[in-house]
Amino acid sequence: MLRVEGAGKSFERILFEGLDLNLATGERMSITGPSGCGKTTLLRCIAGLEDLQDGKIYLDDIEVTNIPPEKRGIGLLFQKPVLYHHLDVAGNLRLGKRDADVHSALKEVGLDGFADRRCEKLSGGEAQRVALARALLAEPKILLLDEPFSAVDEELRSRLLNDTIALLGSRGTTAVLVTHNIKEAESFSKNIMTM
Amino acid sequence: MKRKFENIEVALPFFLFSALVIIPLLLALDRLIYVSGKMPWQVFSSLDEHYLSQDAIGFTFLQALLSTALTLAIGIPIAWQLGRYHWPRIRLMRALLTLPFVTPAIVAAMGFMAILGSDGFDLRGERSTYLVSLLFAHAWFNIALVIRFVDPVISNLDPRMEEQLRLLPAGNSRWGRLRCFWIPLMFPSILCAAVLTFVFSFTSFAMVRWMTPSNATLETVMADVGGAAGIENYQIYSNELVLASSTIQFLVLILALWLLSALQAKRSRTIAEVSESHSRKKGRTGWLVLIPALLFCLSPLMAVIRSSLRVAERGPVISHRWTLEGWQSAISGDYAYISIIDALQNSLGYAILTLVISLPLGWSLSSGIHLLEKRGSYWAKPLDILTMLPLAISGVMLGLGILLGIIRISTVFFTMWWMPAIPHIMLSTPFVVRLLLPAMRRQDPELIENAQVLAMNRWQILTKIRMPLLRGPLIVAGIIAIAMSMGEFGASWILVRTGAWDTLPVLVDQLMTRPGFDPLVKPTAMAAASLLMLTTLILFLVAERFRPDGDGGMF
Repeated sequence: MLRVEGAGKSFERILFEGLDLNLATGERMSITGPSGCGKTTLLRCIAGLEDLQDGKIYLDDIEVTNIPPEKRGIGLLFQKPVLYHHLDVAGNLRLGKRDADVHSALKEVGLDGFADRRCEKLSGGEAQRVALARALLAEPKILLLDEPFSAVDEELRSRLLNDTIALLGSRGTTAVLVTHNIKEAESFSKNIMTM
Repeated sequence: MKRKFENIEVALPFFLFSALVIIPLLLALDRLIYVSGKMPWQVFSSLDEHYLSQDAIGFTFLQALLSTALTLAIGIPIAWQLGRYHWPRIRLMRALLTLPFVTPAIVAAMGFMAILGSDGFDLRGERSTYLVSLLFAHAWFNIALVIRFVDPVISNLDPRMEEQLRLLPAGNSRWGRLRCFWIPLMFPSILCAAVLTFVFSFTSFAMVRWMTPSNATLETVMADVGGAAGIENYQIYSNELVLASSTIQFLVLILALWLLSALQAKRSRTIAEVSESHSRKKGRTGWLVLIPALLFCLSPLMAVIRSSLRVAERGPVISHRWTLEGWQSAISGDYAYISIIDALQNSLGYAILTLVISLPLGWSLSSGIHLLEKRGSYWAKPLDILTMLPLAISGVMLGLGILLGIIRISTVFFTMWWMPAIPHIMLSTPFVVRLLLPAMRRQDPELIENAQVLAMNRWQILTKIRMPLLRGPLIVAGIIAIAMSMGEFGASWILVRTGAWDTLPVLVDQLMTRPGFDPLVKPTAMAAASLLMLTTLILFLVAERFRPDGDGGMF
């Protein structure tokens, strides 16, 4: 499904070089490492939001290294949820799928009855769950999660992570989680890469 | 006790401001109704009946709507390029592209006259070019509004907003991103700029007076007949025309102001969510937009200087020669009651008087509104709108308000040299408020609270904490107030009755209305316009140095 070969990137210093990564369909992977080691940059390169300086990226054995992000079919959850405040929750979900069944999608992430809410009224955890529901509605080939629950408290974080794992598992979604918390990495997947 | 003191602190500046703005207008209205013997709604038909004002309503709306459309068509691509991409010397570029807005309207009119006149493209002989040249002059003047409103929305945008959309099906095409994101994001700002452009084009005076002399707008009608209004049993029609024009203009402008206020609130909600700075991509093809834009913005100003240095020589064919004679005659004052140096002194005098009053007044008004907003008071919004009221009332209307509401009551006021400064203060105070209030809103309240727990009194907090923290916006507001006063033409044109009080814009107008057979008249007028323009340019460039990064909004 996802193959990264000899990836290299530097910003004033080398972030990573000669990096290889392999992920089969439906598989989950965690990437851990200290702050500033290039975890987020690697995800952004896979998503196509940044260019690799060396190496190649393949999706379903097709090289996508120079393909723009919107053509790759990849989903990404940012550390801080990105919702569009000119739209309500339902409007944000429809960006993922125009004819989405908004109510079922919200029910899946435990936000039943939130369809008409204004996004600025949501808490950090609620906003991230809306962003997750939207990302899943888009049915991406692979979902990248960049420390998506780091802004919420410990207890909620663990609950959200478990819910996310269950959702991804039930759908068989291929996913990569970036985290600096080794416990989170272990509960998300057996496959862990340390940078 | 503290609350009572704060209430007085809020109420006092608003009382002063209201007295300054509303009382002359009410007195003027009362006088017009008394002299004409009719109520405002009884005189609308007089506009169609009098030859001076026939078609004025239609032409006013037509030119304002077309000017707005053209301004947006030119301004949006410029704002997009400035906001979205990285450009070398972007501060200077922004300053140059927004310079037209603070350029006195009379200078702009002279610039376009110079470009289109016999020493330029020689198009003034064709009447059909008048409207088009007016539209371009209005677009030139107002593109700064589009840039000031739209550019910060794009440049302060959190890049993840667009990145996230690119990874979602709705945003996987350019059209999708435009429809789902860029249009909703920029629409309130574009509409704000459009409403203000419409207002300024609707009330434009100097440009209409000079660019389309064969067409009247409501503003030029008021200016033309206003001098005779308010006098009992004298040219009764002038009272009716002023009453009808000002009523229609006031209603349209109040509607525009209400719309602007609603849009501003929506705009600030949109911007609040996207206020992270980021590094922008380098623009590749944007120079194709920015270079013509810079040429468009600078060419009328260059044309004014060029025309001040060229004198026509009549012969079988009109030719021009380079000379400093225009400047020499402007300095010696050969063609007017006073020289450009005296006019500059007058302008600076009025500007300093304006600064001394409008800056503290604007500060007090902004502090009052901010305090009410923090308290969640219902009064914050109406008072915010009240401070914008003079923006919706044109210079000519304000001038007539003073003339009819104060001077006609007692001729003693006629001899008071400071009278023309009143409309300058009225017109510049809203600009001060619009610059200071957003800065106060951005200020971290904990900085003030910390000073309070350090046992500082109100005066110490004002002078040692608040004012130093707002130094940049205060300097910008002060300089803009001076520039606005120096460039003000409509009210001064009505109120400056003695040649010795002539300001630079009034002097330029006087010189240009002299018979043109003397070849030195035009270069002399252009020299006066050049001096006014250069003074404004220096003031504006100094102000830009103190403008906080990412500062958007009106001015």
